[in-house]
Amino acid sequence: MNHLTNIVKKEVRELLTPGSVASVIIMVILFASLGGLIGGEVEKASGLPVLGIAGYEDNTVVLEDGTEWNAYIELRDAYINAGVPASDVGQYLRTVVIGDRDLYDVMKEYEISSLIVLDQDFAKNIEHNMQPDTTALDLRKAVIYEYYLYEPTGMFGSVSSTTVNSLVDALNNNLSSLLIKKSIDNPSIYSFLANPITHGGHNMKTIVNGVPHDGVTPQAIASEVSTSTMMVPIIIMIIIMMVGSIVISSMGSEKENKTLETLLTLPIKRTSIVTGKIVAAAIVGLIYGLAYMFGMRFYMGSMTKSMSSGVDLEELGLSLGYGDYAILSLSMFLAIVCALGICMILGAFAKNYKSAQTMTMPLSILAMIPMFVIMFSGWYGSASIIQGLVFAIPFSHPMMAVQALMYDDLTLVLSGMVYMVVFAVITILITVRLYGSDILITGLGQNKTVQKLTRK
Amino acid sequence: MTDALVLNDVRKSYGNREAVHGITLSVKEGEIFGLIGHNGAGKTTTLRMISTLLRITSGSIQVYGHDVATEPERVREVISYLPEDAGAYKDLTGRKYLEFMASFFKSGEEREAMIRRGIELADLGDRIDSKVDTYSKGMMRRLLIARAIMPQPKLAIMDEVTSGLDVINAFEIRQVIKDIAASGVTVVMSSHNMFEVDMLCDRVGLLDQGNLVVVGSPAELKEQYGVDTLEEVFVKVVKG
Repeated sequence: MNHLTNIVKKEVRELLTPGSVASVIIMVILFASLGGLIGGEVEKASGLPVLGIAGYEDNTVVLEDGTEWNAYIELRDAYINAGVPASDVGQYLRTVVIGDRDLYDVMKEYEISSLIVLDQDFAKNIEHNMQPDTTALDLRKAVIYEYYLYEPTGMFGSVSSTTVNSLVDALNNNLSSLLIKKSIDNPSIYSFLANPITHGGHNMKTIVNGVPHDGVTPQAIASEVSTSTMMVPIIIMIIIMMVGSIVISSMGSEKENKTLETLLTLPIKRTSIVTGKIVAAAIVGLIYGLAYMFGMRFYMGSMTKSMSSGVDLEELGLSLGYGDYAILSLSMFLAIVCALGICMILGAFAKNYKSAQTMTMPLSILAMIPMFVIMFSGWYGSASIIQGLVFAIPFSHPMMAVQALMYDDLTLVLSGMVYMVVFAVITILITVRLYGSDILITGLGQNKTVQKLTRK
Repeated sequence: MTDALVLNDVRKSYGNREAVHGITLSVKEGEIFGLIGHNGAGKTTTLRMISTLLRITSGSIQVYGHDVATEPERVREVISYLPEDAGAYKDLTGRKYLEFMASFFKSGEEREAMIRRGIELADLGDRIDSKVDTYSKGMMRRLLIARAIMPQPKLAIMDEVTSGLDVINAFEIRQVIKDIAASGVTVVMSSHNMFEVDMLCDRVGLLDQGNLVVVGSPAELKEQYGVDTLEEVFVKVVKG
């Protein structure tokens, strides 16, 4: 067995401890479960709400020709149209009697968090407004009151109130169309009167990568792309920080135990030691990376299914193919090697395990900057100066690569990879040089330049 | 006897501070040479320069005819360095540690023979298959000395070899050092324990503030300073 293989095997064995493997497995399981959990919450929140209705019994609108309109009947039909069997509607739409009781007590009793109450003059006021002699000055308001119970149900808690709000809007539209039809001489042109301008659907096109697509807006596409890719920068930041921390700590530990001194006096080339450490850590980093990606696939799969804006990215040519995933993996591997290059340099200055922990700070900052920029404004939406800063940080490139590959921006992806190769080579050369210097043994305190700076 | 180690006007500076001021000495093959001196006298720095860990600011060091500055890899083939308070990889067992280290020197049957020799030297019994982080300080030191000696180096460099060990462990380790020297290995060691140096070393070099003040056999030095122990020599030289 040659020396390099021997070093790689030793390093992999040290880095892949049962503890570190267990933590990665737990993280993967957490990601997978989290996706399912969020997806379930969203589905639950955006599903049919349980709604209470009061004050509808004596509030049926009766028009001059005898046509009747009742809010409860309209809502009941809406639930049935949404797929609820007629016999089960009562589970969702609960008729409520308030009387003199406190609203909070009533809602608790009926186990509802949303309640609509028709004003006592609701039907009377509408019937009054529909009289032929009613003028604009005589118009009366027909009010439906909405009551909600605020419960700390997390970020998706507001979704059910939005659905109730939509139901009330639907009631309004439904009654409005009935009243307009009754007010005009030619009811068959109602649909024209309601929507005299035709737009949307096939009349709306958004050009994506040079190809026009019907019925989608840039906002909907951006929302879908953002939902699909938002976890990538976080995952890459976690991997960089985790691998970096492991490598710097391992260096600190080697110094503390003086195993590094022993290693450096063995008949092995310094380049073999440096290469062995970097290769082993890169292998471990890639294993972690792929494990996280695997977890993320479940996470995104569960979450995007429920949070989707309805835009099919594959149809728009914005999904990633196998080739794209291969490029993304390579980009991630190069970013890990760059991170390791930085870690080996930082680790060379660590005195012991404890001081090595603080050495991870610059790496964490470097990993967080592109994560925040890419998550919140994205590469394409950032100012030139920010783009320059993000490009200079090697870990940005796999974070940017996902969207760049979606938009077929291979120039950005490939130039990023070339930059990372150059960056990695430079850091490895610096590391080899450091391994041949006294700094590895004596630390920075004995360095001439540092001594001068300290004195100043 | 040929020279195993030759230091010629060796100097080492850390920044503007010179830690070693022009040491010149030679150590014969098979000799046990002790470097003594108070803390910060330059013992560890000198041993690290001989071991190729630190670069020499000026002067030269030859190990069995190889220059540490220009042929560090050839030097590493003939030396074995044991740092003060050194440890081993905590996730490995004693046996795995010796196997890992042996892989850098030999392969096949020669490697297996080297591992067997290491296990015998460590003399840890069944505990050779325990993880090293469960070892006592004495057991750890035995394992590391076995690691240092099993490749049969020509020059063994040992920094504070029995520091912090109990009487029995220190005694046994001194015995091991005597045995390896008897087998022809040259030993350069540093120690604060004057009794140990007196008992083990053929010759002693006393370092004071980076200067090699006196060199000689323990008997010669005691006679030269008219005292009974090496400790008294040390005090007389350092305090004047």
